[in-house]
Amino acid sequence: MLKLTFRNLAANKARFVMTTFAVVLGVGFVVASFVLSDGLRSSFGDLSDEITVGTDLQVRPVSDFGEPPPLDQDLVDRIASLDGIEVVAGFVSADDNAMQPVKPDGTTISSAGPPQLTFSWVADQGLGSFALVEGTAPDEPREFAMDIDGAEANGFVVGGSYDLVTPIGVVKDATLTATTRFGSDNSTLGAVLMHVSLGEAQRLFGSPGTVDEIGIRLAPDADATAVAAAISGIIPDSGVEIVDQATLNSEQKADFNQGINIIGNVLLGFAIVSLFVSIFIIYNTFSIVLGQRVREMGLLRALGADSRQIRRTVLGEALLVGLFASLIGLIAGVGIARGLIALFEALGASLPDAPTIVALRTVILALVLGVGVTVVSSLVPARAAAGIAPIAALRDGARLGSQSSRRRSLTGAALIGVGLMFGVYGLANPPGTTLALVAVLGLAASLVFVGVSLASHMLARPVARVLGWPIAAGMGTAGRLARENASRNPRRTATTGAALMIGLSLVSTVLIIGESVKSRLGDLLETSVQADYLIVDDSEAGVTSDLAAELAATGQFSAVTGFRYDEARLSGTVSEVVAADLTSLGRLLSLDVRSGAIPSDEAGDVVLLHMDQADELGVVVGDVVPAEFATGTTIDLTVAAIFADDTVIGSPIVPNAVFDSAGSADVHQWVAAALADGMDPDLAQPLIDQIQQRYPQVSIDSAAEFQARFEASIDSALAVVNALLALAVVIALIGIANTLALSVHERTRELGLLRAVGMTRRQVRRMVRWEAALVAMFGAMLGVALGVVFGWGAVTALPVNFADTVTIPIRRITVLVVVAAGAGLLAAWLPARRAGRLDVLKAISHT
Amino acid sequence: MDSTSITMEATAARAVGATKVYGSGETRVCALDGVTAEFERGRFTAIMGPSGSGKSTLMHCLAGLDTLTEGRVFIGDTDLSTLSERKLTLLRRDKVGFVFQAFNLVPTLTAIENITLPMDLAGRDPDREWLDNVIDTVGLRDRLTHRPSELSGGQQQRVAVSRALASNPEIIFADEPTGNLDSTSGAEVLDFMRHAVDELGQTIVMVTHDPVAAAHADRAVFLVDGRIVDEMADPTAELVLDEMKLLSRR
Ligand SMILES: Nc1ncnc2c1ncn2[C@@H]1O[C@H](COP(=O)(O)OP(=O)(O)OP(=O)(O)O)[C@@H](O)[C@H]1O
Ligand SMILES: [Mg+2]
Repeated sequence: MLKLTFRNLAANKARFVMTTFAVVLGVGFVVASFVLSDGLRSSFGDLSDEITVGTDLQVRPVSDFGEPPPLDQDLVDRIASLDGIEVVAGFVSADDNAMQPVKPDGTTISSAGPPQLTFSWVADQGLGSFALVEGTAPDEPREFAMDIDGAEANGFVVGGSYDLVTPIGVVKDATLTATTRFGSDNSTLGAVLMHVSLGEAQRLFGSPGTVDEIGIRLAPDADATAVAAAISGIIPDSGVEIVDQATLNSEQKADFNQGINIIGNVLLGFAIVSLFVSIFIIYNTFSIVLGQRVREMGLLRALGADSRQIRRTVLGEALLVGLFASLIGLIAGVGIARGLIALFEALGASLPDAPTIVALRTVILALVLGVGVTVVSSLVPARAAAGIAPIAALRDGARLGSQSSRRRSLTGAALIGVGLMFGVYGLANPPGTTLALVAVLGLAASLVFVGVSLASHMLARPVARVLGWPIAAGMGTAGRLARENASRNPRRTATTGAALMIGLSLVSTVLIIGESVKSRLGDLLETSVQADYLIVDDSEAGVTSDLAAELAATGQFSAVTGFRYDEARLSGTVSEVVAADLTSLGRLLSLDVRSGAIPSDEAGDVVLLHMDQADELGVVVGDVVPAEFATGTTIDLTVAAIFADDTVIGSPIVPNAVFDSAGSADVHQWVAAALADGMDPDLAQPLIDQIQQRYPQVSIDSAAEFQARFEASIDSALAVVNALLALAVVIALIGIANTLALSVHERTRELGLLRAVGMTRRQVRRMVRWEAALVAMFGAMLGVALGVVFGWGAVTALPVNFADTVTIPIRRITVLVVVAAGAGLLAAWLPARRAGRLDVLKAISHT
Repeated sequence: MDSTSITMEATAARAVGATKVYGSGETRVCALDGVTAEFERGRFTAIMGPSGSGKSTLMHCLAGLDTLTEGRVFIGDTDLSTLSERKLTLLRRDKVGFVFQAFNLVPTLTAIENITLPMDLAGRDPDREWLDNVIDTVGLRDRLTHRPSELSGGQQQRVAVSRALASNPEIIFADEPTGNLDSTSGAEVLDFMRHAVDELGQTIVMVTHDPVAAAHADRAVFLVDGRIVDEMADPTAELVLDEMKLLSRR
């Protein structure tokens, strides 16, 4: 029988090429995600070594929560005086994109890509990991250095003078004193790395006399444990810790790995979706091909093959196809990984030279997944083939037996039910980790997908008839036959459509979530925000309080406040705390105060609490809540008001004075402003433009502009997700092409007859293409319907501040269905061409 | 009317020196070897001959399904060798009717839809009166909305003949239309074809092995090794049988 297996594959090469292709793509992306993350992990591991190799010990501040206060700079000198220490240096580093140099063309480097990082310069190359390439280290205020690749890519030259956008405003005419190299080959991953002197870093990003951490290199003969003990003798008892190089290195690796794992897992997720889609295609191919071989199987049975042998032949074919496809997928995966690295490089990230690592685990997984998927999807067709009776050899038009339509529908409905229950349970009681949640929801969705594909054959005929009506009306006989063909084999149409359904349901779920979030934001801005302008820092590093002060000083605004964020322990639980100018607050946000009142001026140590938190803490207006800050300061806050609207801020709100006395940073995360009564926005605009020029890192938006910008950012996030889902859609389209090719083959005689009685080639092509369009539209509509269900579930499960009512982007979803139909037309291009080219006489005598 | 146009009018199809060669060298087969023949309008012609004598090939070439190696064929006064693939298709659709031995009907279409298929393909409305006439003749009025799978073999062939008739073509070609039928069903189909010629004025060319079938025709043409060797007016089953015995002895 093995011989027969090989013969069959050889005879049906073309039929299996496309099946193979679906498996190859799925396996390829799985392999790529592993090869890529293994490679990156290895090279980032090297990078971690490079970063930490020169630092034997590090002293740094710690706290249970919030941002710990920086270290006293005096500590550096005191450590230096200890025995066994060769070099010691204090570091200050800026938040991502906190400092942005202005390029010669007047623009800043895009902050959407890799970050721009700034550190204080440390002369010792071992501690600092940087070496000078050209020039001298920055030493004075308004001097900076930049890594060699960043400088070259953005047109900065040593000795040139450039403006720097910083949290304290624009630093004019700073001099680029040097270019630097990070580690051995300046692998910056596209980040721009800059340095300023320690004093300048303190002025721009920190506070005078403090450092963020202290790096230490020991004398060659010193004992690390002894030195660490000596250091702990001179540092404060709490709030400071000493870590060794091994800890630093593993922390650094874990930090990198987190990012790499995210990339790897996201790729893997989409690869698995693609593989899942291929199951439907393989299943369909095997069913159709076996359906065409019923007589041959019957003959084998008549000649004495038992049903086990038949089943083994079919499964053997699946095994070979799976093995072949997995091997190709393995090779393709390595190629895809290299391609992705090239893509990253093209997008501006200079990756460290990542080795191509094909781990044994990757090979095994590729084979198991590829072969497994193929064999599993051929189980049902194999069983049906084994059930063929010997008499089938003699009967014309004998069909592959399969379970009854009723049983199929019931099984489908049951799977849908179980899947939905899983989904609802998962969303209602989200498991602890994201991975577990994704697994539960993925399982739920898979059950629903399989269920729908089983049950939807009931819908295939009626839906194809309805959808096909305009086609039949507009395209004449070719259109009518396309409609008949799409509905003549409902199971085939249903399975083929189901493959497309999966991709499109995920795409429309994503679209619906996005749209719901957007419309929620619109509502929020309408009801909860009264401010005319929202000023958001694009770099997320925060902006100096000078900006709000300058706005207020113009006298054109009735209310201006910046918002500062920190963490504090309130009656034992850690909570985010926000500080603002309470006098202005009421005119900028609608807090919906339920009891008490927002104090009219900066009146002592008060706090405004959201009613849920007040309930939790068991306090009412007038009660006192002690708040312990990360700096160690504890302040007793008197509850001044309890509010109900938590759409913008749900955390405790305190006056600025409280943060000031607690020692929290004076950095505004965002600023809100309301125009003075009767002030014309057009007149205010020049003022705003002026301030905007001094703080290019922020966006000063009207409420409408803010909404538009936010929506645009959601749209671009959606675009990325949908681009990845496009892979699943492409595989489904290959499936449509495959099914159509097989159907054309199956209907060769019929096509010959049609051509003989006068159907033109063009009409034949049109007929095949529109059948594909109908199948695609059927799948797309199922997908959209499921997407609405999924979207509804997701929106319901989302916190109410993100989204509360399901908003369906009708126009986009209609476009989706139309595009799917168009893609179906295109997918059928080749089968249609083949059908059109059939030799009439050969086709008629085809058996 | 002058005399040439009368002869043109009188001939539904003709072949002049039609030659068809398959393969080359060792495998060369001359399926048609200079066949010249005319098929008059309003007549029922049977093409007979041993297996492999080229009957189907001749019919396919006459009908524009296949092309000649040499010589010419005409439908009406159209020279098929001058037509493009598309023109040939349109000619088949509009001027020629077909009945094959089996698999004549599109399974997804009902009987009536199969009958009007060529006109539907052309986007033309069928001539209702003519269509009624054809349907009455075939006697399947109560079966028109059935699919082919719901019809017997004989009924299917009658639907196929109706389809060939429905567009009122120049000529109808039938390749062993009763080859798959029992004698009763076969007789029904043959009677129907006879009727179409007598009552509806159609022209039919039928390939057959069966002397009884040939007896329904006005004329029988005998083909051996790709050549016309004899022909017979008003054939009867006995005469045809004798002739065939004679031919097979040659
Ligand atoms: N496509 C082809 N390639 C090669 N030879 C062919 C082809 N078609 C027909 N022939 C040969 O041409 C000759 C005539 O074939 P044709 O089918 O016309 O015979 P026929 O008279 O219809 O026979 P039958 O009564 O068996 O149907 C035969 O010898 C056949 O083998
Ligand atoms: Mg023949």
